[in-house]
Amino acid sequence: MKTVLNLSVAALVLAGSIYLYAGDDYEEHGHHVSSVAAKPMTQRDKSAMALYTKECGSCHFAYQPEFLPKRSWDKTMNTLDNHFGTNATLDPTDHKTIQGYLTTHASKSDRMTGMGGEVAIRISETPNFKREHREIPQKMVAQAEVKSFANCTACHTKAAGGSYREREVHIPNYGNWE
Amino acid sequence: MKYLAIVFMFSMSLMAATSEVVQYMKELETTAKAENRAFNGFDAARGKEIFTSTHTGKQGKPMACTSCHTLNLSNPGKNALTGKVIDPLSPRANPQRLTSTKEVTKWLRRNFVDVYNREGTAQEKGDVLAYIMKN
Repeated sequence: MKTVLNLSVAALVLAGSIYLYAGDDYEEHGHHVSSVAAKPMTQRDKSAMALYTKECGSCHFAYQPEFLPKRSWDKTMNTLDNHFGTNATLDPTDHKTIQGYLTTHASKSDRMTGMGGEVAIRISETPNFKREHREIPQKMVAQAEVKSFANCTACHTKAAGGSYREREVHIPNYGNWE
Repeated sequence: MKYLAIVFMFSMSLMAATSEVVQYMKELETTAKAENRAFNGFDAARGKEIFTSTHTGKQGKPMACTSCHTLNLSNPGKNALTGKVIDPLSPRANPQRLTSTKEVTKWLRRNFVDVYNREGTAQEKGDVLAYIMKN
């Protein structure tokens, strides 16, 4: 599953696409660059990812680091004592490992163009995200099964594996998006 | 000898925590004694009060441990902010609980701040653990 994500990142960088979430666009780019091997994950990367998924994923979906640039992850990790209104502090060793993982795999492109110099810590506030979700009516998001745009897996059935294709979207009580 | 071993193992299972966490509770006990001369052991009833009472939390809103963990510790809870399911807190319902001091200290630190807007004292932490062990 991680390979899918790595390939998609490679695809994005190579194609110069800003459409990380785009369903079928994303797939086409994937085909164009499928012969390009993504950088394999080291054992250390894998265990750092497992730690990130366990620690951060115990309260919310463990968003792929590629959704935000390094400065966003640094800001998030440096303010864990007040993380969206909760204390999410970590043991110092784990903190360092997770910050390293997030910043190493952060988006290399600027996902915050048009934010007036602000550093986003909510993925859902980045212009990319907003554009990709602009057609989603509020009622589909506000319902109990979803709660907010922070809950990727409520609709993106393969989000945990790093795949956000449009045809994999299933909105609770409303069905497929396509 | 065999009988003694069985009794020992049975009493360990009654404690519903691994030796690592039992050791941590002994450390809490030492601190609690140092902080309060009248301290006379952890009390699950006090722990229940800490766990179920409502306070002004970190966000300035009413909050209790039960806001996420519910009143029945054998049932799964739900993160009040994100909706993510929380595995049961009861060590009987969920054998993973109270097995790691690292996990226990992390969640006590975080959750006391979220609910009480301050860290718990050694006595409060021990009382809560005593309450969880009993459930």
